[in-house]
Amino acid sequence: MTLADGNSSRPPARAGIGLRAPHVAEVMATHPAVPWFEVHAENYLGGGPALRPLETVRRDYPIALHAVGLSLGSAEGLDERHLDRLRRLVERLDPFLVSEHLSWSVVGGVYLNHLLPLPYREETLALLCRHVDRAQEALGRRLLVENPSSYLRFSHSCIPEPEFLAELARRTGCGLLCDVNNIYVTCENLGLDPNAYVDALPPGTVGEIHLAGHSVNEAEGRPVLIDDHGSRVAEPVWVLFGRALARFGPAPTLVEWDTNLPALEVLLDEAQAADRWLAPARSDKTNARAA
Amino acid sequence: MLALPELQRAFGAAILTGDAGALAHAIEGDGLPPAARLQIYRNHVLDSLTEVLKATYPVICRLVDERFFGYAADRYIRSHPPSGPCLFEYGETFPSFLEGFPPCRDLAYLPDVARLEWAASVALHADDLPALAVAALGEIPAVRLPGLRLRLHPSLSLHASPWPVDLIWRANQPDREPAGIVDLGAGSACLEVRRSGDDVVLRRLDAAAFTLRRALLEGGSLGDAAAASAVDSGVDFGAALFELFGEGMVVGFESSTSTQETT
Repeated sequence: MTLADGNSSRPPARAGIGLRAPHVAEVMATHPAVPWFEVHAENYLGGGPALRPLETVRRDYPIALHAVGLSLGSAEGLDERHLDRLRRLVERLDPFLVSEHLSWSVVGGVYLNHLLPLPYREETLALLCRHVDRAQEALGRRLLVENPSSYLRFSHSCIPEPEFLAELARRTGCGLLCDVNNIYVTCENLGLDPNAYVDALPPGTVGEIHLAGHSVNEAEGRPVLIDDHGSRVAEPVWVLFGRALARFGPAPTLVEWDTNLPALEVLLDEAQAADRWLAPARSDKTNARAA
Repeated sequence: MLALPELQRAFGAAILTGDAGALAHAIEGDGLPPAARLQIYRNHVLDSLTEVLKATYPVICRLVDERFFGYAADRYIRSHPPSGPCLFEYGETFPSFLEGFPPCRDLAYLPDVARLEWAASVALHADDLPALAVAALGEIPAVRLPGLRLRLHPSLSLHASPWPVDLIWRANQPDREPAGIVDLGAGSACLEVRRSGDDVVLRRLDAAAFTLRRALLEGGSLGDAAAASAVDSGVDFGAALFELFGEGMVVGFESSTSTQETT
């Protein structure tokens, strides 16, 4: 099965921002120079006025749809009703890409509002493959699957996360959403090497990159990084972003900011900072093509 | 080794109860006790869902103060966790939970205020359905009219409370200065919540409109609604019905032989 990402009006490999409710009116009024927006699918699955401003914004900007609720890793299976609602939203918005997470949230019919960790084993991989296949079939799109930020690992995990993702992409044809901040947070929290993580992801499968800020908390006298999307991108994450661009080539990159949401101009400024990293990668690609 | 279904069941229980149980043995410490690692996930689940409830119930949060709201939310979330990922749909049973929550016993009006907030949230997210014009009734033979059942807009709900909950609701909006003291003796209220354009409106209804709308909302026929309204003297049933159509709150009807929907 060959699956398209989606909308033909695919934006260039530049930095977009998340479209958040407090900024919508300003975006519609000022029409900022940002190449694309990402929206959270679950905020737009009801009726009523919520979707109306998005219908307007999408006429002028490409939209990426980022879902958090499919729970691709749930042992009890996918929620077909949710998948169907997502399908209808995809049809309505025609996003240039659709993404989800390597995680689970649903057990016993209860939705635990978090991207929860999985043991990385062959049987988990088989389950993920079934669910990604089913989601791609239902949505009629290639899905990008994002690496989560992790605060623990299971002792019976036996496949490193980047290899698990690479194999998931190879078996299902899905793409990867490489969240560079999540790689950094996970590796710091679990004592892994973020450079080795990036180097283990297969080039050619990364369709989008995420950047965000994290906070540094403390547990039992030890620093714990929390992926709270509540500040500017941290310096080591920019450096890791540079490494990811060198390996994967330029990809549409999102600056995520969800808590302590600042003024729109701060988000735009952070996206421009990301663009300064992307520009050389774009010209390298052009040069390589010309050579 | 825990198989994935057992692992996820244990993880869910640990999040909701705080007891890591058998799961602790499946987690690598990496310099931290497994329970401390689980607690990071637990904090996020409980904190983020508390924020969801705060967004849906801002007036309740203001009435009981943020700290107590957090306490009540924690108890509610752990006993009534969400069943799906669309979180604007979460919290329907919070009003009845508050009703049975012993620390809220002295705030008898609280559950009814919460019901208004839930109704406002439902109204905001209700599907857009085109209104049926009153002229559509002209196509129905007069003899069938009493048996006709109207389908009302999904944003519409009705609320009767012994307390002046609309006054409490208005005086405690989160973005406004405190608006003085509401006299709890100001009497009962018959209220309607619905969408008007893109806004949610809350208003008092007179007894006639309330009785008519309630009869129709509960699935009664026009004949049933007319009979219910007739209990109140001086009711102009036709005018009350006309108003309901005029507000765009009738979206379809069913008679015994035909169904009409506006799609």
